[in-house]
Amino acid sequence: MAAAGRKEKRALWVIAIPMAILALSCVYPVFFAINNALKSNKGYILDRFGVVTEPTFDNFTQAWTRSNLSEYFLNSVIVTVGAVALLLVVSSLAGFALASLRFPYRKFIFVVILASLMIPVQVVLVPFYQTIINLGLLNTHAGLIISYTAFFLPFSVYLMTAFYSGLPRELIEAARIDGAKLLQVWWHVMLPMGKPALITLGILNTLYCWNDVLISLLVLQSDRTLMVGIAALRGEYTTNVPLLSAGIVLAAAPIVIIYIIFQRQIVSGIAVGAVKG
Amino acid sequence: MTDLANSIAADMSVRRKRRPRRGSRTERRFAYLFVLPALLLVLVFRIIPLFWGFLLSLTDSDGINPAEFIGAGNYVTMANDPVFRDSMVNTLLLLASLPIWIMVPMLLAILIHQGVPGGKLFRAVYFFPAVLSSVIVGSIFNVLLRYDGSVNAFLKSFGFSAVDWLGSSSTALGTLIGVQLWATFGMSLLIFLAGLSTVPKDMLEAARLDGAKLWQTWWYIVIPALRPIIEFVAVVTTIGVLTSMFGLIYVLTAGGPGTATTLPEFLIWLEQGKMNRPGYAAALSMVLFVLMGGIAWLQIRIMQRNANL
Repeated sequence: MAAAGRKEKRALWVIAIPMAILALSCVYPVFFAINNALKSNKGYILDRFGVVTEPTFDNFTQAWTRSNLSEYFLNSVIVTVGAVALLLVVSSLAGFALASLRFPYRKFIFVVILASLMIPVQVVLVPFYQTIINLGLLNTHAGLIISYTAFFLPFSVYLMTAFYSGLPRELIEAARIDGAKLLQVWWHVMLPMGKPALITLGILNTLYCWNDVLISLLVLQSDRTLMVGIAALRGEYTTNVPLLSAGIVLAAAPIVIIYIIFQRQIVSGIAVGAVKG
Repeated sequence: MTDLANSIAADMSVRRKRRPRRGSRTERRFAYLFVLPALLLVLVFRIIPLFWGFLLSLTDSDGINPAEFIGAGNYVTMANDPVFRDSMVNTLLLLASLPIWIMVPMLLAILIHQGVPGGKLFRAVYFFPAVLSSVIVGSIFNVLLRYDGSVNAFLKSFGFSAVDWLGSSSTALGTLIGVQLWATFGMSLLIFLAGLSTVPKDMLEAARLDGAKLWQTWWYIVIPALRPIIEFVAVVTTIGVLTSMFGLIYVLTAGGPGTATTLPEFLIWLEQGKMNRPGYAAALSMVLFVLMGGIAWLQIRIMQRNANL
């Protein structure tokens, strides 16, 4: 970027102040949740805004055991891991075919898959719910895994197709001349070559699945995922803010850890949607 | 880099001419096999339900008695339903706030790109709320925004009077929009930053050498160069505000007070579940579909252009 003049540099410093306040507001709620999770209920009522003085971990153990968060946590882990694995396999297979193989209606199929972006779950809420019931998938982990895959799939297929179409075709040709079957080409060439895109998709889809509420509310009614559990916890314990805060911290922790570790991949994954990477 | 891309593209077009377009029989068979899972999932859970939903919207289905065909009955009911009308007004108010959703992240992105001190840190921190679930964000803000919560305590320390952010129908929708904006502006900011990295640097340098002021380079070079990104962010944000506020409404306001924060997606869920009127809910869904269909079509066109297929 062109060098800013001295006056302009000073202006940038001045602008940095409101920007820093905005940045503080972005982390304050997390501080707020952790701070309150460490207070006892009485401690919270006596001093709602102060920094915790006598930290206690009782809220965490209570939320984890008595409020069933451990069970919800396990549900969320099962469906997230299952859905992400399925999403990666399905989208890289489809991306391979759409980008590197030649067959009639290739473009049409690509457009159909992308067009489903126009159909979010709210638009098909009733018939989608009926479909889940008719297929016997209501209240099953498999049902939620399949639902997540269906609803988060188009972007993944798009990204894999875009990524694979940037790879030189010689790779596939060479493997095929060696007599490899196409499934082997996918396994031995396309999956390893697609690693950067697959990692990005893996992380982004983990966020989407872990954070979802609506699909989970519909498909898993007798059981709960963590986010639905937190929403319920909020309804049951409106007055016990420390307990609720502990639940929030437990539910957000995995995502916060993933964000800190994979920040670069998440950032580039978001950017890729706008400017093809 | 572009030269390389061009030569690869030229290479590929030559090869395409030499080889048959349709591929060999095994290639075709495997290709269909590979796209089948994706296609099947999308068809069974999204595309077929869309048509099914349209048929359902023409019935009086209540989930118990056999549904009967009532033509446009549900749509007539809708026109006279005050809750539906309120939800449409709320949607319009929400859409009216779109310029803020685009300009705030764009301005911040340009400032970070321009080299504001601490820019890298700001980028990471601003994006942070976007990775949190709407349930987490909603639950925290539910406590922060209570009448005796942190936000009001903060205001009071500056001599302002407390506001019943979520409990008053005049502020609830604005508050909801504010929280969602806070939670997602980092996402648009990242997209803008990615776009800014494509703004030609030598052009900026040249303009500066010719004595252009900083703000002039913004107005005449940076913002015009960002046009495709602005388009993209506008489309993505519009779809986002129409279809991803459910979680926040669910924990923050439950559509209230009254119908002050009832948006179509929440109303659909209410009618489907609590009110047990699947036929009517399906009709509401169709309205939402038409509302966002055009916008989403634009997005697909942009994506298709970018994928170079």
